[in-house]
Amino acid sequence: MPIDRALTDALRDRARLLLEDDRVDCVIGYETSPRGGARPAFIYDSGEVDRLIWSDACVHNLVTYLHDKKKPPKRGQPPPRVAIVVKPCDSRALNVLLAEQQIDREQLFTIGVACTGVRGADGELDGRCTRCSDRLPVVYDVLLGEPPDVEPVNDEYDQLEEIESLDPSQRLGFWLREFDRCIRCYACRQVCPGCYCTTCMFERDDGLWVDIGIELPQKHIFHLGRALHLAGRCVECDECERVCPMDLPLSLLNRRVVKEVEGLFGHRAGREEVPSPLLFELGEEGSPI
Amino acid sequence: MMLTTANGLRTWLDQLSKAHDLVAPCDVQGHVLYRPVKPGDEVLLEYERPEMSAKQYLLPDTEVVLRVQQHGKRLTLLENLSERSQVLFGIRPCDAHGLAVIDALFLEEAPVDRIYRHHRERTTLVGLACPEMWEGCFCTSVGGGPNDATHLDVLLWKADGGYAVRAITEKGAALLQDLPAEAHPDASPPRVADVEPVPVTPPEAWPALFKDRMWQRHGERCLSCRICTYVCPTCRCFDVVDRLADTEPGVTCIERIRVWDACTSTNYRRVAGGHNPRATKPDRLRNRFFCKFCYYPEDFGVTGCVGCGRCIASCPVDIDITEIMRDVAERSST
Repeated sequence: MPIDRALTDALRDRARLLLEDDRVDCVIGYETSPRGGARPAFIYDSGEVDRLIWSDACVHNLVTYLHDKKKPPKRGQPPPRVAIVVKPCDSRALNVLLAEQQIDREQLFTIGVACTGVRGADGELDGRCTRCSDRLPVVYDVLLGEPPDVEPVNDEYDQLEEIESLDPSQRLGFWLREFDRCIRCYACRQVCPGCYCTTCMFERDDGLWVDIGIELPQKHIFHLGRALHLAGRCVECDECERVCPMDLPLSLLNRRVVKEVEGLFGHRAGREEVPSPLLFELGEEGSPI
Repeated sequence: MMLTTANGLRTWLDQLSKAHDLVAPCDVQGHVLYRPVKPGDEVLLEYERPEMSAKQYLLPDTEVVLRVQQHGKRLTLLENLSERSQVLFGIRPCDAHGLAVIDALFLEEAPVDRIYRHHRERTTLVGLACPEMWEGCFCTSVGGGPNDATHLDVLLWKADGGYAVRAITEKGAALLQDLPAEAHPDASPPRVADVEPVPVTPPEAWPALFKDRMWQRHGERCLSCRICTYVCPTCRCFDVVDRLADTEPGVTCIERIRVWDACTSTNYRRVAGGHNPRATKPDRLRNRFFCKFCYYPEDFGVTGCVGCGRCIASCPVDIDITEIMRDVAERSST
């Protein structure tokens, strides 16, 4: 996974300018990981911008870190101004947070990167990239890189066919086998830009629905509940699936809901800065919505 | 010392699984994990470091520690601990080392953790030496080793013609009585290529680094998930809650469960009134490292890390314990 030299240089130049001109307090981007790939990096000082890189190993959706930047560092101060590097899928998450008024647009400087897809440690194109035609972010203040010339793909939810062809009991069996491996580490929730409740309903001390036990019923309800809470909000960045130490195929679950929401409301989360229609649209009596 | 074959081992494991609760490395949908096995189940003999440590069979992720049943005006308190003996087969030396670290708190300091002791006493540890050190492994820097038999009851290693078997304790020797094996001239496990040593900074040097900026730098990336603590052979924090349990009509039953908890999670340190003294990710990451290399050794006499490398291999944002240990060593020497 070689570093993209031109894009990296452009990124460093932009970050240097932003920090030197005091336009932002922090640049959230990527640096080389000791394990070879890339990992998130937080740059506060223009002298450190050379840590920043761009390569196709930049898999992480950095938008999730904006939740740590909502509060001022000290009482009475304004919240920090942040520059953030976004791929097209990441930028859709940004749209969701903006629509849900989680972050102030004025706080942000968005460095969009033209994207040809990212790759995991195995060198394979990520699943999310094989069905993505977005080469440019939907939100950016500056765009780095040239829009690449890549054959567009039509997302037909093909990978759902197999699971949807199973009868309900087989499907339940499939999911329970998968959920059984879950260790309830909450990495899927923690990495998700859309999961930002101060107290997750699955972690309440007085939870009515699910206790803290790391057992199959709790894991089952947690994963189904999380998928539903993201209905119309999941931007399909598949970060939940990437971080899962037990490789649960969580994108299958989320995309099943995405497909349903698209069918009913014609809405794909984050394409525009609008909140999920599930929160605001009421159908007429008897209509499927 | 004895020598047995792979078939000999499998026959023995089949017998063990009838007489004991047997736990062994298995292929669970592509993941190498320690799992309970029944007679006939496939046990792995060649495998890398299992992704989770073996601690969950001594300190289960979820365990009912007490049942309170109410029939009319009568209350019954029940403990429901398995009386069967347990064999952990094919654990790695770092797993056994991890249990020794947990012992320092749960067994060697009063009050003893009775439930943990119960499981510890009913368990025999059969280790399989590691043929190599894998990604992230640094056991040799923290007092362990891929062949280390110190905390095991039996050590096995791959040898010419099969598996060499050495009883380390009497408990281990008793278990080996039914193993089809022949006597073998005493030999030692083969040497395994070491990795570059990782410096371990002594506990007394850590407090000076409490306010160092390095915690911000490493910790800001953290997701506050629980992977590192759950895969760790030495992390032993738990939470306890009571819950309503299913029961027959006319009887109310409350279960008290203890469940793994993680210092990396946001709510771990939250106190009544909502205040959270470790409110930020860097605060929490710093605590995790201070716990392992400063507080735990000072309070219980042993380092809280066995160098298994699982947290390195599984962290989704590449927080690397060895990188942090090197940073600490470098800063404390200047």
